[in-house]
Amino acid sequence: MDISQDYFSCYGLPCDFAVDLAVLRQSHRRLQQQHHPDRFVSQPDSEQRRAVQITAYLNQAYATLLEPLKRGIYLLQLQGMDPLAPNNTQMPMDFLLQQIELRESLEDMPRAQDPEAEIDVMTSRLQLQASQLENEFAQAYGSSDFEIAEKTVRKLQFIVKLQQQLDALEGALLD
Amino acid sequence: MALLQIAEPGQSAKPHQRKLAVGIDLGTTHSLVASVRSGQAETLPNSRGEHLLPSVVRYLADELPQVGVKAQAHLVDDAANTVMSVKRLMGRGIEDVKRLGENMPYLFEACDQGMPLINTVSGLKSPVQVSADILRALVQRGESSLGGELVGAVITVPAYFDDAQRQATKDAAQLAGIQVLRLLNEPTAAAVAYGLEQDQQEHGTIAVFDLGGGTFDISILRMEQGVFEVLATGGDSALGGDDFDHALAEWMHQERQIPAKLDLAQQRFLLRLARAGKELLSDLQSTQLSFEGWPGTEAYADLELTREQMNLLLDPIIGKAIRATKRTLRDAKVTPDDVARIVMVGGSTRSLRVQERVAELFQQQPLTDIDPDRVVALGAARQADVLAGNQSGEELLLLDVLPLSLGLETMGGLVERVIDRNTPIPVARAQEFTTYQDGQTAMSIHVLQGERELVQDCRSLSRFELRGIPAMTAGAAKIRVTFQVDADGLLEVSARELTSGVAASVQVKPSYGLSDVQIADMIKASWTNVEDDRSARSLREQQVEADRLVEAVTMALAEDGERLLTSQEQQAIVNQMEQLVLARNGQDHHAIAKQIEVMAKASDAYAAMRMDDSIKRALAGKSVDQL
Repeated sequence: MDISQDYFSCYGLPCDFAVDLAVLRQSHRRLQQQHHPDRFVSQPDSEQRRAVQITAYLNQAYATLLEPLKRGIYLLQLQGMDPLAPNNTQMPMDFLLQQIELRESLEDMPRAQDPEAEIDVMTSRLQLQASQLENEFAQAYGSSDFEIAEKTVRKLQFIVKLQQQLDALEGALLD
Repeated sequence: MALLQIAEPGQSAKPHQRKLAVGIDLGTTHSLVASVRSGQAETLPNSRGEHLLPSVVRYLADELPQVGVKAQAHLVDDAANTVMSVKRLMGRGIEDVKRLGENMPYLFEACDQGMPLINTVSGLKSPVQVSADILRALVQRGESSLGGELVGAVITVPAYFDDAQRQATKDAAQLAGIQVLRLLNEPTAAAVAYGLEQDQQEHGTIAVFDLGGGTFDISILRMEQGVFEVLATGGDSALGGDDFDHALAEWMHQERQIPAKLDLAQQRFLLRLARAGKELLSDLQSTQLSFEGWPGTEAYADLELTREQMNLLLDPIIGKAIRATKRTLRDAKVTPDDVARIVMVGGSTRSLRVQERVAELFQQQPLTDIDPDRVVALGAARQADVLAGNQSGEELLLLDVLPLSLGLETMGGLVERVIDRNTPIPVARAQEFTTYQDGQTAMSIHVLQGERELVQDCRSLSRFELRGIPAMTAGAAKIRVTFQVDADGLLEVSARELTSGVAASVQVKPSYGLSDVQIADMIKASWTNVEDDRSARSLREQQVEADRLVEAVTMALAEDGERLLTSQEQQAIVNQMEQLVLARNGQDHHAIAKQIEVMAKASDAYAAMRMDDSIKRALAGKSVDQL
């Protein structure tokens, strides 16, 4: 098992934004079966250490390919880009305004009459936005327009962060 | 003439002969050893037919220690030398133990290694040694039942055990001379015990609901084609069947208007009555609780306890477990409908009300056919059989997750998370850090475990230093810190300065671990204190920023303040700096941010002057073509 190859190759997947999750899941499980440290319990230490390294690599690869945001960022990194660079913060004004508005309604939510209903509305709104951005990314990446792809993935990151905050809020309201 | 084959002692004569391996449930109150024989996992009894070994060790002056029932008999008359519930002490520091101390009749002595030592007639004993004595008894039982030497054991640990507690458990096994095939999380073991993976058609999500006497754990697993994957774990380490007994006892206390002050014997009486009533109501709809034999002068009439009344008393407690379950389902990103099977573990899941409430949440009956006290040991035995190499083909594989987030201390007492809770293990993650001051040549690496944002609220696992970093300006050095967690959940940390290659690493052998309650509290607090943390974080960030600015300006003034500024200009800057220090020592991050801005403005002109000056000096005496 070569742990210097890219994550797509290790699962025998094409290096593309569209990933067959069923194939990914199955290959991951098969490779874990083969390389997990539990398979090397009676082997020398060096074999066991290697097994830990390989499965750690596989876990990282799997987590990256499973989530569209991480997958997008990774694809751009393979192109030598760094979408997460801290100086990379320019966003279009209309998108920023929309984010501020969403964030404000998130902050008001705990005091709303029916917070759960509002959470549901916002979740579906974010999901719609996320899937639109994922489509945009797939298109831009497919036509090698990496600048656009990078802008899209950074927008997607905003949406995913917002969704995480929404999840945290929902969790807090459950108690 | 054929030569006889003689095998090395300890090696088997026939390579295909079955290797002997056991599963061990090293529990707080009792322990079990189990093994697979003729394809069936079974717990192994002692010569008197008892399966449960009380996790109690009694130390004697000139004899070997007593373990189990024999030791248990002396809990009262030889309390100081008879150690129980040692699992609570594993991987803990003296501070943690002091908190538990009220209920523990032992003489503790602090020790450099971190874990406290218990002073017994046979000398100082560490919790690791006590656990090793229990393990030895279990291994002996295993070897005499199975008729041979064991190749190793799978030992179970609670899913929420942190690195220190896992390491201590592994150390105990080593001390007892047992090869640890794997440390296995208890819920995973329970799921394995039901053999759900054997039916190839069977796949889906499994919930393991573990309600013991004093703790509650919930784990969500996914099982597919022989692979068990832990998706999330959660729970409440201060919730269990003991709370049921206390609620019932409290109710009797009120119903019969017993005076508020109870002595120990009276408390025990009520608790015993509560337990008896609870057990009777498994079969009956109502029962009479008799106060006959009450240890006091008053006489109380019998009290009727109906199932409805009991349910009313238990529901708030069970409700807590149900809420924790819902939360963990969310962490695992599944709904109750997605769950295909529910495995029940722990004696308190015998309560019908618990089973009802669980069935109500998941809209299906939980699995209860395996004894909830033995199910963990049975699963461990199956895993031991696989790891010893006794099974071939489609093998069982168990993939676990990290129970608590791991991180590093950064400036201002903040924790930078490196690996999140519930990340599948093994895992390796690297994070880059840089120096804070010009010319900094060493960096202290502080490894923490927990869910909160401030260092003081997380558990310190280890500290080590990376020395010999070449002197550079602040922010120029690149220090990569790598965390690696193996399949047992044990951590190793290394650090390397990338431009010079200077390296340091440490196998994290923490001096103490987290207390159960602390873990639960830490996880809970990370949810309830998100707001707190956020403003605390902003405060620290602003403080760090303020310190940086004050330091830079102070150094600049010392260097060339006299030369470039009038004394009035110098005084103006110093005044603003004093204001900033005042704000920095306060609690209001907005005020600090504001003063940073004012201060930056006040020193802007000076900074520009310095820049010009340094350019002039650099150019001084050089002609244009030299540049």
